[in-house]
Amino acid sequence: MLGKALSRWTLAWFASAMAFLLAALAMATFGLAGPGRWSEGWALAAVHLFALGWLCQMMLGSLIQFVPVLTARPLILPRLALPALILCGAGTLSLAGGFLALDGWPTGVLLAAGPVLLGLAFGLAMLMLGGTLVATRAWRTQDGSTVLLALLALPVLWVTGAGMGWAFGGIAWGAALLPDGLSLHVLLGAGFWLTLAAMGVSYRLFPMFLIAPDGSSPWRRAALIAAALALALLLAALGVLLAGGDPLPLAVACGLACAFAAGLYLGEIRRIWQSRRAPAPETNMQWSRAALAFLALAALLVAPALILGGPWAEAAVFVALAGWLSTLTLAQMVKITSFLTWIQVFAPLIGRAPVPMVHDLTDARAAGRSLALWVAGVLVGAAALAAQVPALFDIAALVLLLAALLHGHELIAIRRLRHLSETARPAGLPPMILPPSDRRTDHDIPRPASA
Amino acid sequence: MADLHDLVRDRLRTVLDPETGRDLVAMGMIYAIEVDGGHVRVDMTTTTRGCPLADFLRLGVETALQSLEGVASVDVRLVWEPAWTPDRMEPVRAGA
Ligand code: HEM
Repeated sequence: MLGKALSRWTLAWFASAMAFLLAALAMATFGLAGPGRWSEGWALAAVHLFALGWLCQMMLGSLIQFVPVLTARPLILPRLALPALILCGAGTLSLAGGFLALDGWPTGVLLAAGPVLLGLAFGLAMLMLGGTLVATRAWRTQDGSTVLLALLALPVLWVTGAGMGWAFGGIAWGAALLPDGLSLHVLLGAGFWLTLAAMGVSYRLFPMFLIAPDGSSPWRRAALIAAALALALLLAALGVLLAGGDPLPLAVACGLACAFAAGLYLGEIRRIWQSRRAPAPETNMQWSRAALAFLALAALLVAPALILGGPWAEAAVFVALAGWLSTLTLAQMVKITSFLTWIQVFAPLIGRAPVPMVHDLTDARAAGRSLALWVAGVLVGAAALAAQVPALFDIAALVLLLAALLHGHELIAIRRLRHLSETARPAGLPPMILPPSDRRTDHDIPRPASA
Repeated sequence: MADLHDLVRDRLRTVLDPETGRDLVAMGMIYAIEVDGGHVRVDMTTTTRGCPLADFLRLGVETALQSLEGVASVDVRLVWEPAWTPDRMEPVRAGA
């Protein structure tokens, strides 16, 4: 089947994630989150709209598209993609609403329900993604095992989050996670699940975008070993915590192993960058370098964040989530959206009519502008957290919100083919977000006799 | 009359890789062209094995060759052994 390798729901995941991003940033702009007050209900809600609604949904939507590329095999149970998306969105909203119970709202039941919905969403995602990776024995490849390790961290992340959420309803083992389990929870979410998944994906995508030789390397192997060791240390820290001990020494060891793994990963990306054949890397790769710089900064901040806490921890988490993961996601989103749109519209015309190039669908300057604004917002926000200046953080949030709006505007322009000349634009455009209603291409294209 | 083999190769130079803008021959993605009477067989690859474009490119090549004069049937196969590497690309000509 033509286009079988394409997930029908990727753009819906992206659109939902963008909506959560805008909501989280709007909340921060209105002063509902900021330095020194991350344990308030509204702030926790904003954090999770950002972490789960924006980053996790983007990652899951991308993996559903990308794991088939990685394994050269169609996704197992692709029909679960839509239920997983709906459950993930509903679970995030429910958890966020539930956090308001901490501020005295009567939403305690949502705090109980959110983790259940999220657990179901993660479970479905693991079935599709983990199932496909295991079926193809992807642990034999370095990019595959990196993504598998990321998926392994997902249920552990869920256990810590659900435990803390249910602690408010009187669940004893959950209460044991507070407050010392918080740093392990954040490490699991930002450090393991999201960062490892981003690493695994970029091992394959970066060489493709830069036209560099692909394949295994000692750097990747070393990064994988360091990350696996870090995960083992984290599980040990979690065990010590639940047994009533002090997890800090193990947590710091874990953080150092994470930072070391990040360093090895950056070494590998540098190697790929230097062996590139693409004469001029495109916007997505240019701006990914800012994301990588934020990763380096976050790695440097891990140990001080764990030991000193306070502003150090706030800045470290912000640099990881808004700097490293979000800048990377926003930059690559431009490319992935252009590519998916190109395939939908122009791939069936290959060999029969002139077609534009993938990068013709993007206005590199517009995308670069919104990404530059985003990076500026991250720098201001990190400074505001380090110096604990709430007003400055609100300004940073506003800058980030503007950047996200501009970026969204460019993504819509890509979907609508606005950067192509009138003549190069086909009459009918695919739906903006939802999958095309039918397998149009099968009818429109007379199949060659041999097919 | 020009050799059908050369005509096929020339026609493949009109099919572009949408990422780089270079044609499939220049990209080193055409592994073999066999001509037997009017029957043409092409072995081609993509830059990465799971590439979602693979089937579209194969069909595009098939379509492009079918309209070639002297071609009776076309058989295009996707192969990934040996794997594509950037070393297979033709050097970019100065000014190109
Ligand atoms: C990528 C995923 C996630 C990230 C990055 C993340 C991040 C965070 C951060 C930064 C905090 C709080 C910080 C603070 O008060 O200083 C937090 C707290 C919390 N998270 Fe998450 N989280 C993630 C996923 C989840 C999930 C899946 C759940 C539930 C199933 C969850 C439930 C909670 C709860 C209940 C707290 C509150 C603890 C408290 O009372 O302070 N989180 N998370």
